[in-house]
Amino acid sequence: MEEDVKTFKDLQREVIDRGLCGKCGGCYSFCSAGALHALELGDTGLPRYRDEEKCLKCGICYLICPQINVLNDDLKARFQWKPPIGRYQRITSSRSRDPTVMTVCTDGGVVTALLLYLLDHNLIDGALVSAKKGPFAREATLAFTRDEIISAAGSQYSESAHLEELGGRYSTYAPILPEVKSLEKQYLRHIAVVGTPCQINTIKKMQCLGILPAHLIEYTIGLFCIESFSFDDLARAWLEERHGIDFHEIRKLNIKDDFLVTLTNGTTIHLPLEEVDKLARPACLSCTDFSNEYADISAGGLGSIDGYTTTVIRTDKGATLFRNALRHGYLEEVAYTNADERTIEKTKMLAKIVSFSTRKRLRAEKRLRELSGATEVECEEE
Amino acid sequence: MLVIGGGIAGIQAALDLGDMGVQVHLVEQEPSIGGRMAQLDKTFPTNDCSICILAPKMAECFRHPHITLHTYSEVTAVSGNMGDFSVKVLKKARFVKEEACVACGDCSAKCPVRVPDKFDLGMRQRGAIYMYFLQALPMVMTIDRENCLYLTRDVCRICEKVCTRDAIDFEQKDTEIDLRVGAIIVATGFDPFDPVGLSEYGYRRYRNVVTALEYERLICASGPSGGHLLRPSDRKPAQTLAFIQCVGSRDVRHNPYCSTVCCMHATKEAMLAREHDSAAHSYVFYMDLRASGKGFQRYVTRSQEEYGTTYINGRVAKITEDLEGNPVVWYEEPLGPATVKMKVDLAVLATSLVPRRGTEALAKILSVEVDKYGFFKSDPLTPYESSRAGIFVCGCCREPTDIPESIIQASGAAAKAAEIVAGGSC
Repeated sequence: MEEDVKTFKDLQREVIDRGLCGKCGGCYSFCSAGALHALELGDTGLPRYRDEEKCLKCGICYLICPQINVLNDDLKARFQWKPPIGRYQRITSSRSRDPTVMTVCTDGGVVTALLLYLLDHNLIDGALVSAKKGPFAREATLAFTRDEIISAAGSQYSESAHLEELGGRYSTYAPILPEVKSLEKQYLRHIAVVGTPCQINTIKKMQCLGILPAHLIEYTIGLFCIESFSFDDLARAWLEERHGIDFHEIRKLNIKDDFLVTLTNGTTIHLPLEEVDKLARPACLSCTDFSNEYADISAGGLGSIDGYTTTVIRTDKGATLFRNALRHGYLEEVAYTNADERTIEKTKMLAKIVSFSTRKRLRAEKRLRELSGATEVECEEE
Repeated sequence: MLVIGGGIAGIQAALDLGDMGVQVHLVEQEPSIGGRMAQLDKTFPTNDCSICILAPKMAECFRHPHITLHTYSEVTAVSGNMGDFSVKVLKKARFVKEEACVACGDCSAKCPVRVPDKFDLGMRQRGAIYMYFLQALPMVMTIDRENCLYLTRDVCRICEKVCTRDAIDFEQKDTEIDLRVGAIIVATGFDPFDPVGLSEYGYRRYRNVVTALEYERLICASGPSGGHLLRPSDRKPAQTLAFIQCVGSRDVRHNPYCSTVCCMHATKEAMLAREHDSAAHSYVFYMDLRASGKGFQRYVTRSQEEYGTTYINGRVAKITEDLEGNPVVWYEEPLGPATVKMKVDLAVLATSLVPRRGTEALAKILSVEVDKYGFFKSDPLTPYESSRAGIFVCGCCREPTDIPESIIQASGAAAKAAEIVAGGSC
């Protein structure tokens, strides 16, 4: 009977070895929060056995992996998922009303404003965010105070540039979930997590199973995500040769309708999204979720005018949170001149999210088809 | 003889009957006997540690030669008549071998599931394999089938792999047993009224508004905060406390009756706050202060004089919250014209006592009547007799009562039930 349970070995074969691992850290954070200590994160951020003897073959790391589909139907049912962009109650364009937040945020500062509302009203004890540690480094961190939350802002979502130095590579992705494992030890009860779709997906799968450490996570705020980038030497060479961009001159990266590279001299270079796919982390190319379909609230710059954040209110919890943040003056919605404009703008916003979602989904399906032939044979041999 | 409910009333009734030499079956739906009293920190009017005076009775009941315990079990059918009832009892599988488990806790330490703990009223999380509470009897682990990942999704089995006693048994099945008994004593107790519907008090909306039972767990050494009176929102010591009386009781919208125990437990809880922290100050907001039991009035006086508790005669209109998460209590001065606002660290709602969930279903199984509030019916001159001959009621399932009164009733019901089997075989 036990042999039927798929374990980390299967995860290695089906996900990690195929280059599909997005390094969300879910498997590792579960394994260590449960004090099983069979896994660790390697130098590149990929999970691996720390001590295979300690693996109890529980099969949970396998189930919660965002690349594994076993729990997808459960997840869809539980969160009333609907095509094409998941469940949502309302889509709006909003921004923070706090001048401090607005100076550090590139777009509307909605994520930061929501976190501040939650913290100020004692609805959370802390927030798990990725904070800037330097111009090109980001690190997952638990923020307990307003200052910590505000200092983590600025490139939260609007710049997808979560640049983190990992060995010789630069990656725009901060693995947040390993930080979650430390929560169990602290007497914290409510946490908000800001994360990419793969991170939120893992958390929601954990919550589907009712396992630690996801039980501490009360709110999930999802970032729109086309892909995160890893800047290895090859990619840097490509940027420099093809577009004449000196890597060291980059001040910030952002995705709106296309890929925006802002240089230290203030100029912004637009690159078509198709081209930058080659910079994306391979795992991102097989991810189907653009608009963070399982979060309580998703947010991103796409579809809003400058200085505002497109905000997708999905769950009832998310709706209550957004309503209260508006009521308490943490947020304001964009003011439309009339009802027609409102309808037109909202339709445009939805159309953009749908189009980006569809693009990402198709890209992933294609990628998975390309990969699937070889693996199926492999599985049959097992 | 059958006793349904293993709280203090059921335990006392079983002990009395057992001591008379009557064979007793005690059926308890939870994994352990102990009931509500096990959740309390102290008892009034003596401030005795609740579990310290309950545990010896639990132990006596557990090892009594004439008492057979059926924990984690439910009565599903009753037929026959006074003197000869046939009872079906569903014994739910624990998936743990009672004889092998030593409650070392290795399994629950490794169980990856986290669900709100019922005994600590959701203020703590537990695994899917757990002990109902620290002093539980029988002292064994139980697997909760709704949340166990093996029983729901065919993965995990970590508890089985870490158990050194080989005590996990996923093959266990629910079993149904048949009992023949001469009489039945019902002692199924109460639930606290859920104050969420009374939106003016902000329960669940404000983290520092708790119910009295939650407060009992908070100040209890074995509770979620280890016995430190720390308020939920920021775990800072709660030094100014408001006790709001008659929450759901004496309220025509909910329960028009008086729950009888709340004035006294608020008095106790106010005293305990001061015992935990000499800087603590408590305000009790009451409609009428009912201290009609033995030694109760002296207890209130002691609370005022020795513990500095302030009693304010007034109904709290609403509770709001300031930006620091402090509950703000709005009330009217008894003689003053103005509305007063008082900022406190923690507000404690004395929620009324309502019949245990499932009381109505059990009443149907037993074919006995309940009154309009859902408590088992009884008459003033035959207080322990239900509407059906041979079935007796005692404790909070017949009316809200405090612990001393529940014990009196249990002994009374046991004596009445013993009449039926006196000289008989059951």
